[in-house]
Amino acid sequence: MKRVLSNKWSIMVFVLPTVLFFTYIVIFPIFKTLWYSLLNEIPAKIGDASRFSGLEHYITMLTPGRRNRFPGAVGNSLLYAALSVFIQLPFSLLIALLLANGPKGERFYRNTFFVPVVISSVVVSLLWGRIYKGLLPQLFESLSWQIPKNGFLGNANTKIWFSFIPSLWQYVGYHMLLMYGALKTIPGDILEAATVDGASGAKMAFRIQIPMIKPMLKVCLSFSLIGSFKLFDTPWVLLERANMDLPALSMYVEMFSNHKYSYASAQAIFIVAECLVFTALLNWVFREESEKPGKKPRFGKGLARK
Amino acid sequence: MKRKATLGRILTQGFLLVWLFLCLFPLYWMFTMSLKDTQEIFGPNSIGLPTRWLWSNYANAWGSGGRISNYMVNSMIDTVVTLAGTSLLGYMSAYGLLRMKWKGQKTVFTYLLMGMMIPMHAALYPLTEILLPLTKTHWALIIPYVAFNIPITILILSGFITNIPYEMEEAACIDGSGIYRTAFTIILPMMVPALVTAAIFVFLQVWNELLLASLFTTDSVRTLTVGIKQMSGQYQTDYGSMGAGLVIATLPTLVLYMCMSGQVQRSLVAGAVKG
Repeated sequence: MKRVLSNKWSIMVFVLPTVLFFTYIVIFPIFKTLWYSLLNEIPAKIGDASRFSGLEHYITMLTPGRRNRFPGAVGNSLLYAALSVFIQLPFSLLIALLLANGPKGERFYRNTFFVPVVISSVVVSLLWGRIYKGLLPQLFESLSWQIPKNGFLGNANTKIWFSFIPSLWQYVGYHMLLMYGALKTIPGDILEAATVDGASGAKMAFRIQIPMIKPMLKVCLSFSLIGSFKLFDTPWVLLERANMDLPALSMYVEMFSNHKYSYASAQAIFIVAECLVFTALLNWVFREESEKPGKKPRFGKGLARK
Repeated sequence: MKRKATLGRILTQGFLLVWLFLCLFPLYWMFTMSLKDTQEIFGPNSIGLPTRWLWSNYANAWGSGGRISNYMVNSMIDTVVTLAGTSLLGYMSAYGLLRMKWKGQKTVFTYLLMGMMIPMHAALYPLTEILLPLTKTHWALIIPYVAFNIPITILILSGFITNIPYEMEEAACIDGSGIYRTAFTIILPMMVPALVTAAIFVFLQVWNELLLASLFTTDSVRTLTVGIKQMSGQYQTDYGSMGAGLVIATLPTLVLYMCMSGQVQRSLVAGAVKG
């Protein structure tokens, strides 16, 4: 039995194809991108024109200047991250809490709120594009609100905000479902005990339910942060061609329109690094929380005292 | 006390109904748009039901102008082959990594899961070098789709495969079944629910993918997401046909979701909760 399960040859048959394939298509290109980002330029045909230039591209990319739009793009992605963390997630959490308390129509609401998630982001973006042109102007007019000059997506100051709305709207349902699922795993007797102790509504939510789903909140946070740095589909569809106001858009334009392959590679590496740094940061923040003494029994203690 | 509880219930329902409206209204608008002409959409009846139901918009989008039908078939081919690939490679490596015993299995497992941390952007240009010769074929998309979805497939399978008791293998071994027969005729059938969970997750990723699809397809193998995006340029002013295109592109996932909403939700939760 043991011999069968540790047969080297069959292990190789099972695992090796995947490992080789994965390495060639996923891992190997990443290191290649890293290498390209350190060259001055990747020549399309002539082999001898590229030379090692170290961190030159990274310095160019991050030096603020009037013609360098990358720092602004990073700023915009942080703005999206902030909107996601401070508006989208609390809103999803509120819905999840309300649903987890078992109102009438719980299942129906949950299933319906999730519908936008399964729709392709291209469709969602195109639909919102038409809403911005065909529906919202009429609505604004009938309420006699001011429409931004040149329309919602034509105004340099507001277009980035309006390009964020569709994906924020779309993924509320996803975060809601993740949090709702976690809330539903809280054992009933804990909630019951808390009710007996006089907790209800907001108190129950802040003292018991939210602290108990912290691991899931971390998942949601990392989703929305990583999603913000990678955000591509919606703004790419909604904004004009060759818009460079977000890191992924900037990388795409530099790479496939301006053919600055190595410079774009540096931007790609920057996006990956940003994702990794924020993931590490999140791990650190949440580890700190659980290591703080006296944090864990909080839900019991705070209520018992009263 | 009782009055307060009633008030709370009313507020809850009110809030949920408001979000329900905001959730569904854009979709409702999409459906009605697909049956109107542009004049009606910009006229006073922008949000009402269409006065005349223009099914011809669907014929426009589906047929000659948009060639959505071709794109749909292409998307289906890419998705089905990708799912076959991720299921086969994912199952085989999950079996080798998590059922069999060998030195270094943990390391290889971690190595494969690392792929989830890394966004596709990071591999974009080198992938172009590998895949550009293939852009006239479906492989230009299927290859990266399989590769990038292997980690998540293995992760979802790993939760299930470690729960199967080892007595299964022992009994099979005593009966004289070899390792491949055990893996594919005894353990694999027990893994079907897990494979379905993973497949739905991957299906939604692949069906909705835009970035690679826009780079690595020529017209004959173009997928639905790219096709629909192109169509929006073509039907700049024809809102009705555009709406019909959007509805057509949405229907497959929407039908899947309506038929098995519970399973779809489980898949997306399983795919989210890493490690």
